Amino acid sequence: MSSLAADLGDRFPGREEQVDQLLTLLGDEHDPAPPCLFAYGPSATGKTAVIRELFAKYDTEGRHHAYVSGVECFTPRLLFERVLNAWAGHVPSLESRFANYARCENAVDFVNCVRDLLCDRQDETHYIVIDQAERLRDRGPMLLTLLLRLSELAGASISTVLISNVVWDKFRPRHGGAPDPIPVFFSSYTKQQMLAIIERDCPEDEPPKFFLTFVDAIYEVFHRNCADLNELRHLVAMLYPKFVQPVFEGQATRSEFTRLFKLCQPYFSAASERLYLREISTSEWQKYSAVASAATAPEDVTRSIYQMAESSEGLDLPYYTKFLLIAAFLASYNPTRLDAQYFSRAKAPTKRRTKGAAAQNAQDAKDRQQLLGPKSFGIERMLAIFYSIIVEPVDSSVDVQIQIASLVTLRLLTKTSAGDRLDGIKCKCNVSLESIRAISQSVRFDVERYLYNFA
Amino acid sequence: MPARQPSATDADVRSIKRAVLGRLYGRAPLPTLVGLDAAVDAVHTLLRQTVASSEGNTALVVGPRGSGKTAVVERALARLGEHSGAHHVVRLSGFVHTSDRLALRDIARQLLATQDLEHVLVGSFADAFAYILGLLRTSRGAGGPVAPVLFVLEEFDLLAQHPKQALLYALFDVAQSQQTPVAVLGLTARIDAVDLLEKRVKSRFSHRQIFVHGAASLEDFAQIAACALRVDAARDGPVADALALQFNRRVADILAAAPVAQHVASLFEFGKDARQLLRVFAPAVARISAAAPLPDVAAVEASVAMDAASAKMQVLAAVSLLELCLVAAMKSLVQAGCCRYNFEMVYSEYKTFMSRHMVAVAAGGVMRIYKKPVALKAFEALVELEIVRPVLPLAAAAEGPATAHARNDLLAGSAAAARAPKEFRMVQLMLDPGQVVELVAARADVPTVIRRWVQQ
Repeated sequence: MSSLAADLGDRFPGREEQVDQLLTLLGDEHDPAPPCLFAYGPSATGKTAVIRELFAKYDTEGRHHAYVSGVECFTPRLLFERVLNAWAGHVPSLESRFANYARCENAVDFVNCVRDLLCDRQDETHYIVIDQAERLRDRGPMLLTLLLRLSELAGASISTVLISNVVWDKFRPRHGGAPDPIPVFFSSYTKQQMLAIIERDCPEDEPPKFFLTFVDAIYEVFHRNCADLNELRHLVAMLYPKFVQPVFEGQATRSEFTRLFKLCQPYFSAASERLYLREISTSEWQKYSAVASAATAPEDVTRSIYQMAESSEGLDLPYYTKFLLIAAFLASYNPTRLDAQYFSRAKAPTKRRTKGAAAQNAQDAKDRQQLLGPKSFGIERMLAIFYSIIVEPVDSSVDVQIQIASLVTLRLLTKTSAGDRLDGIKCKCNVSLESIRAISQSVRFDVERYLYNFA
Repeated sequence: MPARQPSATDADVRSIKRAVLGRLYGRAPLPTLVGLDAAVDAVHTLLRQTVASSEGNTALVVGPRGSGKTAVVERALARLGEHSGAHHVVRLSGFVHTSDRLALRDIARQLLATQDLEHVLVGSFADAFAYILGLLRTSRGAGGPVAPVLFVLEEFDLLAQHPKQALLYALFDVAQSQQTPVAVLGLTARIDAVDLLEKRVKSRFSHRQIFVHGAASLEDFAQIAACALRVDAARDGPVADALALQFNRRVADILAAAPVAQHVASLFEFGKDARQLLRVFAPAVARISAAAPLPDVAAVEASVAMDAASAKMQVLAAVSLLELCLVAAMKSLVQAGCCRYNFEMVYSEYKTFMSRHMVAVAAGGVMRIYKKPVALKAFEALVELEIVRPVLPLAAAAEGPATAHARNDLLAGSAAAARAPKEFRMVQLMLDPGQVVELVAARADVPTVIRRWVQQ
């Protein structure tokens, strides 16, 4: 047991305490195990990795534990049948026509099958490990209670291990039948632990200390907006080749960190956010990004990065459709009472300032439509706005109606009235302000002038 | 006095662990049921009357969660089994048998033990049930006495919620009509379980209720823990007498330690749940080994502290600074009187604050204002932790508590096309302002400006 603990401690730095807790609670094969264990903690703290590895080594035969995922098993039947397959050591194959070990559609069948399967293995504890256990809450009110009390119901020694990043308070079923499990908390990694883990990612031919300095610099900047280990590893893996390239080209030596950072600057500023948001995919980055070297001008590098990230912005619509979209945006975000003021061709009389204008403005600051989201509007209003912002006369109105239909299909407009109504259709605009600005720039239309109360 | 650990053999330690952990985890019954003797006697009398005198009896055992209802019934059944004739026991549970059909199938399986059940389950519930009892009678031989059947129905209130209560009606009907000697014991945690019954079912019920209360006093409650932890050399397998004595002395020390006694007292005041009480001692007992065969007081105290700690605060203790700023922005929106807000409003509040103050970070440099997509990713991380939950529109909330429970639809692309894009969906922070202040106070790396902002 202690060799297993040492082994896992080597594999997973920073998780020694949790491994120790788990191994103590599981004990030897013949010790009773708790009816339910709950491993919780923020994401990317190694819960699934540690528990899977632990069970793989602890349960040498493989027939005493069953690992299921709450996401995959979206009906109780899938969960029950997988657990029985794992405990019986049954693998669906061509000969058995890919049938599972037993057919179990409801809880009664499951409890009976478990009782039959385990009646001759009375002394050994069996485990069910459920990952993403928060999904089980939706699968029926009794499923969670059943799994937690399976030991009593089936009369065998069964232990359920739940893994989740949501705390137990949100799991407790309302009718109160589920006993509280023994919790095992996986805390977030500290800075030292994170550096120790990422250090293992160092490529073989690079000096570790050099790599570590780079990782340290990235961590300092990056951990303010994201404390997630996986994201940090991804960023380090993508940016390190660019950082170390000047050394291979002979423009700087390994000891000149400042110069290397300066050469790599365009990548850090332009790329780190886009890589983090996955606007540029990993494969795109590795194939198309320009190599960092003193020879490449910084502007070229920046431009190539922006080009890679631009593909999502390309809303290539016909001319009138762009104006229709702008009109829809204005209809969604401007109040109806101000339409005459903004959009009528004739000179509308200016409204008289009322006394409470200042107070009105102060209240508007919090309730701005920009913050509340798009309102729904009638199609007629949008068409009225459209015809007033188009400068030249429009030939046929049939095209316009077809364009509206295609905008709805592209989900740039959302229909809020019932699906089968043919008249009085109401829609909402689904496009963000930045896209509308880009679109109106492309048709040389000044949309800012028509927006009311936008920051 | 330094704790000197005595030496022990592996076999001793294994026996102790098996016995004590078995009791702590609820896998083995406690040796004595504290304060429940009257209830055990009542149940035992009832069952004995059915078995010995072939009467039909019905009763309801009512008691809060963890008060020992199942233990009482099992103890009575065990006592009965010693000196009575043959009888069948059928166990049903409201968790598992979620419809009358399933319950009937399981009754047939438990009573008849035949695999071919399909020809049995035809017709209405009452017909099928009568057929099963008829089969049971004939299987014993034509002239022999009929063996009584004892039904133990756990979670009786859930069984009473099946449509038409066919199962309960059939059972109570047989108990009253005395064709087959049947005893029906329902176990429930609801005091008003009798009111859930329909009129025709209630009239066949004997209205006999046996109440199982929780422990009457703090001493009794603590006695439950002592009873579960103490090792008896004769009963708990081969254990050296000296070791058992020292173990029991250590158990007395543990229960007398101040944090443990306080925890037991607070559990007694809160709910008197025996399972919750016993769970706390398990990690310390699981840790014993041949080198250190006595449980450590410090380990029990650590387990008590872990139980009392707030899990939410633990998980939030290491969120990134940006996520903390978003939580602080939500708190200031709530304090300004706005009870419904969405990501756009939170982000604009965050931007207003950051542009007004220069936030210097501990490692040097200034914390910049993050762009909206980055802030949205941090916001979604908070939603995943369920610190921020979507506020359902009123129509959906009125549909029923079942649909409103726990499903986090903010991130999912829901089929309701009328809802806004995800930045505009209304959310709610699940922490109150005091907890946010506590969260910020517990961290050392938060810049002073943000700390002051939160503490306003």
